[in-house]
Parts: sequence; structure tokens; C-alpha cells
Amino acid sequence: MRKFALILSSLLVLAGCSTQVEVQATDLWVKSSEMSTAGGMTAVYGTLTNNSGDEIVLSGGQTTLAGLVEVHEMAMINGEMKMQETEAGLTIPAGQSIELEPGGNHLMFMQLTRDLLAGDKISVTFSFTGADDLVVDGIIAKPAEGGDEEYHSSETEVDN
Amino acid sequence: MRSTTPPKRKWTTNLVTRRGFLGGGAAAAASGVIGVTGGAYAAGAVGAQNLETFAAKRELSFRGNHQMGIEADLQAVTNFIAFDIKPTTDKAAMLRFMSLITDDIDRLSRGEPVLADPSPELAIGAARFSAYVGFGPALFEKLGLQAQMPTGFGRLPTFKVDQLQDQHSSGDVLIHIAADDPVVLAHGTRGIVRDAMPFASVRWVQSGFAHTPGMVPPGITHRNLMGQVDGTANPTLGTEDFNQVVWIEDGPAWIQGGTLLAYRRIAMQLDTWDQLGTPSKEEVIGRKLSNGAPLTGDKESDIPDLAARHPNGLSVIPEFAHIRRAAPASPGERIFRRPFSYEAGISTAGSVDVGLLWTAYQRNMDNQFIPIQSRLDELDLLNKWTAPIGSAEFAIAGGVLDGEVIAEALFS
Repeated sequence: MRKFALILSSLLVLAGCSTQVEVQATDLWVKSSEMSTAGGMTAVYGTLTNNSGDEIVLSGGQTTLAGLVEVHEMAMINGEMKMQETEAGLTIPAGQSIELEPGGNHLMFMQLTRDLLAGDKISVTFSFTGADDLVVDGIIAKPAEGGDEEYHSSETEVDN
Repeated sequence: MRSTTPPKRKWTTNLVTRRGFLGGGAAAAASGVIGVTGGAYAAGAVGAQNLETFAAKRELSFRGNHQMGIEADLQAVTNFIAFDIKPTTDKAAMLRFMSLITDDIDRLSRGEPVLADPSPELAIGAARFSAYVGFGPALFEKLGLQAQMPTGFGRLPTFKVDQLQDQHSSGDVLIHIAADDPVVLAHGTRGIVRDAMPFASVRWVQSGFAHTPGMVPPGITHRNLMGQVDGTANPTLGTEDFNQVVWIEDGPAWIQGGTLLAYRRIAMQLDTWDQLGTPSKEEVIGRKLSNGAPLTGDKESDIPDLAARHPNGLSVIPEFAHIRRAAPASPGERIFRRPFSYEAGISTAGSVDVGLLWTAYQRNMDNQFIPIQSRLDELDLLNKWTAPIGSAEFAIAGGVLDGEVIAEALFS
């Protein structure tokens, strides 16, 4: 029964995956806030694990929720840790995981196509260099603050 | 920022082993085999090294035909939290609310942090965490869902003994949380309340406690703060008898596998109660304080002999005794009680504000709790030292299987 539960907890990931599970996504969530309204922005967080023997790179993503999806990283800008787009993507070494978390790396959604409400469930496609796309359904929108987030994105500044 | 982390599930997998190991104890508790269960607490069975995490690693199962935390031995600490929904909260919002809460309970029951937990380091173990969700009559009215009301559910009648205070009564949604550890309870409560805030505001919180793990063997009736063994004659967990008393089998789909809760905050007047001697206290209840046995018997499980008389002709169990008045007038007139104690303060004069967060679970309040309470309302000497100061009714949705959301059928 226990094992059953564990398998099912990864079901969301497996359901959208190709036959070979190169990348595993766990504990994914998307933030709902006063900024996650139509035209606004939000981000996806969770854990991505590279089960393959080779390095892969999270290069971007797609979702019907957003007109623009960027991979963001933490960077020191003018002496302050800020988030900004990384053109190079986020590297996941072979057999290791990366955390997408508030105040850290994340998949940024901008130009939202609709309001994202607490408890909504969305579908996201993660794109990688070195691995197939990963489609994850049922990512829940959590009402969340915190992470001392401050964005540094030319796109964001233009659009907002 | 962590660039790499060990696979999160590894630690959880470890729990599988631990849980399987302790599973025998849980099964024994469910079947009421107290002697066998007690063995699971022995240092030899658990291992001295693991004793300090024994409470942390015990889990209750979230998924199943019934919500968790009802057909279970009392945990050490509890929060009953009642919410009133916001004017903007409609059926669709309730479903989103329940989606979040379902995911939270699922994770917390395994000792894991909720998603987006700002303090995941506080998820130190399941500690028999449980939470279930129920809905008050006002919710059905606000959302126009009267047709979905279960049979035998509605606002309780007013009883003569009632001294109800609004601050302890009613509510649209109840989330009842419990655990064997106060920190686990506080952390879980925070996560759940945070996710409720887009949809509802907190109406009241009532916090209580029972014995900590290891104080009494599972299946043993706890003592309330009057000193009485409280909960005798309950249906035994895991039995068909329990199913018959508690779990609803028909009606709207969402309530099947659910139950009806009559919730009462019952204040105790210990200043005057403490002035009584033991024989008087025992006559008020009809049971011995030492072990909960009826005054006509030797052990707690003995059936009270309500017809027994002293040589002088007086009933051994007095006419005014609580257990005589509470005894079922018909075979189906039974409830499952799972009362926690509360301690809400001490006055400058030294009077303690204590009592029970008293719960009666049943299939039908009209046939079960209400007739019993009506008899107690007419005559029960215990009423002299106890008074209901809060009251609420909640219909507890059925259980959730994998992929399901609590009360999905009600709000879809």
C-alpha cells in the first residue's frame, strides 16, 4: 500500500513522459498571487532530477497559461542577489537534481493569458537540451509569498 | 540555493520499512487487541535507538473509503478550526479550496512538508498526523446546495443545558487536525490555514489534547479532566459495529463513506466537582473512577445492570446517573465519541477553564445524537458540573482514493 502511494505520487510526471524517464519532476507547484492575473506573471517551482548518465540542460518551457516562458536564475547584480533570465539554461548534472524555488532558480511565466487562481491546476511542458520534453499535468497553484523575490528581467520591466 | 539534492523520496522509502514494522501494532489497535498492541511499545520491539523517533514515524493512512482521524485512537494534540467562506467563494472556488487542502493533508500525513512550505524543516515526522474536512448547514445554504444535505443532518435543536457562545459555535467549513506532537500539529495547521485564506476566514479555533503516546496503550479509554474514563461503550475501531454506527452508506455520493459530527465544547466546573467525595462522583456517572467499571461490575467492559438494586431498594446505578440517561432507548441509538480535553486558562482566583472538545460521530443525528442528548437534557446529574458552551454540526465528506479531491462530488 505504501509503495503504491509512492508510485502514484510520481504519476503526474510519468503520465506525461515518453517511455524513457530521463528527467523526473517532483513536488511541482505554481504560485498564485496578486501578480498572477491576466497579463501578469508567476513561476513554477519544484525538483527536477536527471536520471540519465549525461548532463542535460533545462532550456525553457511552454504552457497555455503564459505568452512568454523564461528560465531564471539567481545572480549577483550590482551587489544584490537578483533573478534574471539565463540564456544558457540550467544545467542538471548526470544523476543529480536541481531545485526550482522561491528566491532561487525557477521557470518564469510572463504575459499570463488568464488569471491564475489558488487551487487551479495547469499543464507545463519543460524543454531540455539533451533530453525529451517533459509534460506535467495537474500542477497546483499555491497561494504563496516569501522567498525575498525581486525580479530583474528586461522583458518583465517592459511588460509591467 | 541548492544546486543538487539527494532524491527526496529516499527518506520516505525508509519510512515504508518502519511503518511495516509497526503495522502490527496499528492493526492490533484497530481490532482492539490491547495486550498485543502494548508489546509494540516495548523497547525490545522498537529498538532503543529508534525510541526517540517512534512517535515521529507512526503514520495514519490518508487514502481510503473514509477520511482519516475519526476511526483512530486519539492523538496527543488537536486543533478544530472552523471557517466561514468569503462572499466570493462559489462552488468552483470550493473545489479549488479542497484541491489544495487534499494535497496538503496527503503530504502532512506522510510527514512531508506541504508544497510551497516556507518552513519545510519543520516537517520532522508524521506523528500520526490526521486531518479531515466537514461542512456546516450554512455552507449548503450559501451555495444553494440544500439538495445535497445528508439525511438526518441540520442545525441541532436548542437544549435547556446549553450556554452557547457564538465564538465557539457554528461555521461553514471544519478542518479538524490532530497529531501526536505539538510542533507537528502547529506546522501542519499553518500550512492548511494558509491555503484556506483565499477562500475563507477563520471563525474559531479550539485546541485540545489527550494523552501523549506511550501513556496508555492504544484502545484504552482516555480519562477526561474530571477524572472519568470517558468513551466507554464506544463501538470498537475496525469493526462492522463501528461501520453501522458511524459511516454513511447511502444518500448523495459525496457523503457516502462519510459521517455526521455533532461537536460540543463542554465546560467543566471543577471547583464544585472537586468538593465531592469519590462515592458521590461515581454515583453521578454510574461508573467507578478507578477503572471505569459500572457500579454493578468489576471492569470497564462490563455491561451496566440498570435493574440492580441495593438491599434498601435504591438503584445501584441511580436514576439520575449519566450512563443510565445516556443508555440507548433503541438498538441504533448509539454514537462514536472521540473527546479531547481543553485547558483554556486559569482565573486569578485559581479556577481552571477546562472541559471537553466533545465529538459524536454518527450516520444520522435525528436518530442517534439528538434522542440521547434530549434525555440527558431532561435529567442527568452531571449537568450540574458540565455545560455546553459551544456547538456545531458538520457533515464529513467520504474518503478520497488516489487522484480524488475531498468532497469533489459535492462541488463539481
